[in-house]
Amino acid sequence: MAHDDDKHQQAGRLLQSFFQGRITRREFLTRASALGLAAAYPGLFTARARAAGGNLMDSADVAPYESPITPERAKFLKDKPYKGTTINMMVIKSTVGDAVKHHGPHWEEETGGKVNIAEVPISTLHQQIFTDLSTGLGRYDIYQTGAWFYGDYFVPDEPYIIPVEDFLKDPKFPYWDPDEMMPAIRNLYTWNNTLYGVLFDADAQVLYYRKDVLNDSGNQKKFKDKMGYDLPAPPKTMKEFHDVADFFTGWDWNGDGENDWGLALHAKVNEQGFFHFLTLAAPYVISKDNNSFWFDPDTMKPLITSEGHLRALKDYVKFIDNGPREMLSWTLGQGWNLFLAGKSVLEPTWGDLPTLAQDEKNSKVKGLVGAAPIPGTTESYDPIEGKWRKYDMNLVGNVNGGSWHGVISRLSKNQEAAYDFLAFMANRKNEFFDVTHGWTGVQPGVKYAFLKPKGTATLEQYKEQGWNPGDVKEFTNAYYDNLVNPIQETYLRIPGAAEYWHEIDVRVSAVLAGQKDAKQALQEISDAWEKITDRYGRDQQKALYRASIGLTS
Amino acid sequence: MPGTKDRWFKFLLLMPAVLWVLAFTVYPLVAAVRYSFSSYVMGRGIVGWVGVDNFTNVLTSADFWHSVLITLIYTVVAVGLEVIIGVALAWVIHLNMPGHKVFRAIITAPLFTMGVAVGYLGVTLFSSNGGLYAHLLAQIGIEVPWLSTATGGLSAAILLDVWRWTSFIFLITLAGLGGISEELYEAALLDTRNQWTVFRYVAMPLLKPVVSIALLLRLVECFKTFGLPYALTSGGPGTSTQLFSTMDYLTTIQFFDFGKGSAMGVTFLVLVSVVIVIFFRQMRRQIE
Repeated sequence: MAHDDDKHQQAGRLLQSFFQGRITRREFLTRASALGLAAAYPGLFTARARAAGGNLMDSADVAPYESPITPERAKFLKDKPYKGTTINMMVIKSTVGDAVKHHGPHWEEETGGKVNIAEVPISTLHQQIFTDLSTGLGRYDIYQTGAWFYGDYFVPDEPYIIPVEDFLKDPKFPYWDPDEMMPAIRNLYTWNNTLYGVLFDADAQVLYYRKDVLNDSGNQKKFKDKMGYDLPAPPKTMKEFHDVADFFTGWDWNGDGENDWGLALHAKVNEQGFFHFLTLAAPYVISKDNNSFWFDPDTMKPLITSEGHLRALKDYVKFIDNGPREMLSWTLGQGWNLFLAGKSVLEPTWGDLPTLAQDEKNSKVKGLVGAAPIPGTTESYDPIEGKWRKYDMNLVGNVNGGSWHGVISRLSKNQEAAYDFLAFMANRKNEFFDVTHGWTGVQPGVKYAFLKPKGTATLEQYKEQGWNPGDVKEFTNAYYDNLVNPIQETYLRIPGAAEYWHEIDVRVSAVLAGQKDAKQALQEISDAWEKITDRYGRDQQKALYRASIGLTS
Repeated sequence: MPGTKDRWFKFLLLMPAVLWVLAFTVYPLVAAVRYSFSSYVMGRGIVGWVGVDNFTNVLTSADFWHSVLITLIYTVVAVGLEVIIGVALAWVIHLNMPGHKVFRAIITAPLFTMGVAVGYLGVTLFSSNGGLYAHLLAQIGIEVPWLSTATGGLSAAILLDVWRWTSFIFLITLAGLGGISEELYEAALLDTRNQWTVFRYVAMPLLKPVVSIALLLRLVECFKTFGLPYALTSGGPGTSTQLFSTMDYLTTIQFFDFGKGSAMGVTFLVLVSVVIVIFFRQMRRQIE
C-alpha cells in the first residue's frame, strides 16, 4: 500500500511540475512512463503536432482576432481564403453555443467565409447529430459535441468524425497548442490516442461556497454549539458537507426576512442534473486502489449495485432536503440562480457559477464566492474486490459535464474551412476571452487560463474582464487542483453512453422524489444497463470500456 | 373505348392519394413491424433478428405499463374536462349573453398556440417560485408542489392541455348548436321556461353525433400528446409523468433503439385500436 501511495503522490507532483512549467515535456514523458502514467493519460502521448515552433507573432493586421499568429497564417488570410465557402455548425442552445455565435462574424471578417449556426436544445442534440450522420444527410460540417458522445462516433467501421492532427501540422491554420490542455481534459478530446476535438470547453464540477457566511463568527459559534466541532470552510469530507448543508437549511442566515437554504442543485430529468450524483458519488467508489466506477472490466457486468454506490445514493438523497423541493424540476440555470441570489450557502457545480457571479445585475455574491474540490470520504468501496477501504482522505477529481467542443463530420465537404473556424476559436486570444467571460459558458482547461504559479495567467488579466480577484483565485485554484488530482473519476465514453446515463438520470430522480427505494433504483439501472450492453455487443463494449480506463487488452 | 379512358382517368386522379398512403402510412407501418423483430444499433442498422424478444421486453417492462397508465389518466381526465367545459361554454355563448362575441374570440385563441411553447410557459406559470398560476391557486388554498411531484406535474400538464384544447370542443359544439333549428329551442323554452331543461333534453341529444366526433378526434390526438407534457416535466420526477409518447420518443429517437421502440409502438397501436373500436361501437349504438 505504501508503495502505491508513493506512486500516486509522485504522479500528482509530476503533473503539477509539468503544468507549472518546471519540467520539460520530454522529461515529463520519461518520468511518467516510469510511473505507469501512460495508461491513465493516453491523450498526452499522441504525437506532438504543432507546426509553429518558435515562429509566432503576437499579432497581424489581417487577423485582428487572433493572437499569437504564425507568419504563414497571416499570409494565408491576405487572400480571404474562404470567400464563397459556407460552413454549417450545429451547437447546443446554451451559453457555449452563444460563444460560437460571438466568434462567427469575426472569423467571417478575417477569412471571407460564412458560417451558419443552428442551435439545438441539449435534450435533442445527440439525436440530431446522429440522425444527420447515420442517415448520411451530412447537413452539418461541425457538431458541438458533448464528450460522452464520442463512443457513438466510432460505432461504424469508418468513424463519423475525422482527426485533426494533420491540420495541426499546417501553419496556415489559426494557432493553438493541444499540449497546453490539461491532460484530464485532453483525454476527452481524444480517441485511441488520436485527437479529434478542437479546444473549447473544459467541464468539471467543484464545490462553491459562501466564504463570508462560513467565516462569519456568529455562524461559526452557532455551528460549533450545534454540531460539536468547528465550522469547516470549506467542508472537506462528505460528512462535513452534509453537516454544513443541514445547518444552513431553514433559517434566515442572510437577514432578508426569509428562510434560506444550505444547498442548491438542479435535478430535472433529461437535463444535466445526474452529473451532480456522478460527481458526489465518486469518492464512495473511486480511490487510488480502484478506478472502476461503471462496469467490471473483465465481464462488463454493472457495478452500480455495489455497497459504495448504494451509500453514495442514500447520502445524495439527503441533500434534497437542503434546498427547495422545486429543485427536482429545475434546470441548470435555476439551480445557479438560488446561489446567485444569495439564498444558498453551497453548490457543487460547473465553473459557470463563479463567472456568472461577477455580473452584479444578476448576482448578489460577487466577491463572496469560495471554491474547493469536491469533498472526499474516509472510506471507499472497491466493487471489484468487494470490500471497503479506509483512507485518511479520499479526494477524487472529475471532468463531469459536456466539455462542449467542435468535431468535424466525415461527410463534410468543407473540412479545411471547418477546422479553420474551430482552430480560430481555440486560438489563445479567443479561448482566453471565452474563459474569462461568464456568458460564454466556457470553462478553463488550458495552462494559460490558470493563475501563476499553477498556470501562466495573471490576476490583472482577469481583473481587466471585471473579475473580483478573490473569486478568480478561489475558482481557478480549485478547478486546477481538481483537474491535476491523480485520482480521477473515469468518464463513460463508450457507445450508448447517453442511454446508460439516462437510466441513472430517471432512476436517481425517482429516488429523490421519494418514488423509489435507493436499492431498487440501482438494481433497475443495472438491469437496464445489461440490456443496453447486450444490444451494442458485450465484447465490443468491454473492449472500449477497458480502453477508456487505461487497460490495454 | 370511353369506358377504359374513364377508368384510367379515375386511376390517375386516385394515384397521388394512393401513393401518399403507401409512402406515409403503409410503408412506415410495415417498416415498424419489421424493426420490431430486429436488434438495431445506431450506425450499423439492423444487426440481427430477435424474434419476439422486443415484444417480451416491452410487455414485461414496468416502465412501459406505467407509461400506458399515465397516458390513459392524462387522456381520460383532460378530454373529459375539455368536453364538459367546452360544451358548457358553447351553450352559454349560444344564449347570446352580453359580450359573447369578444368572449368567443378570446376563447379560441389557445387553439393557435404550440404545445411545446405552452409546456415551457407552464414551467414559469406553475413554478412555486413566483409562478402566476401557483401563486393564484395558493391564494385560494391550493398549494401543490406542482412540478416536483408526480401528481402535481401530471395535474399541471392536464390543466394546460384543457386550457389549450377546450376551445376545439367549444367551436365544434357551437357549430352544432347553430345547426339546430331555432324553432325547436323556442318551442321547448315556451314549454319549460328553463334553459337547463332545454339544454338537457333538446340540445344534448341533438348534439350527440357532433360531440362524439369531437370527442373521438380529441381522444386520438390526446393519446399521441408529446410536446406539452415533455416540455413541462420531461416525464419526471423519475418517470412519474412519462407518457407513452415520451417513452417511445426516448427509446426510438433519442437512443436509436428502433427494435424496442417499434415493438412499443406496435403494442400501443393495438391497445389504442381496441379502445377506439369499443368507442365507435358505443357511439353507433347511442346514435342509432
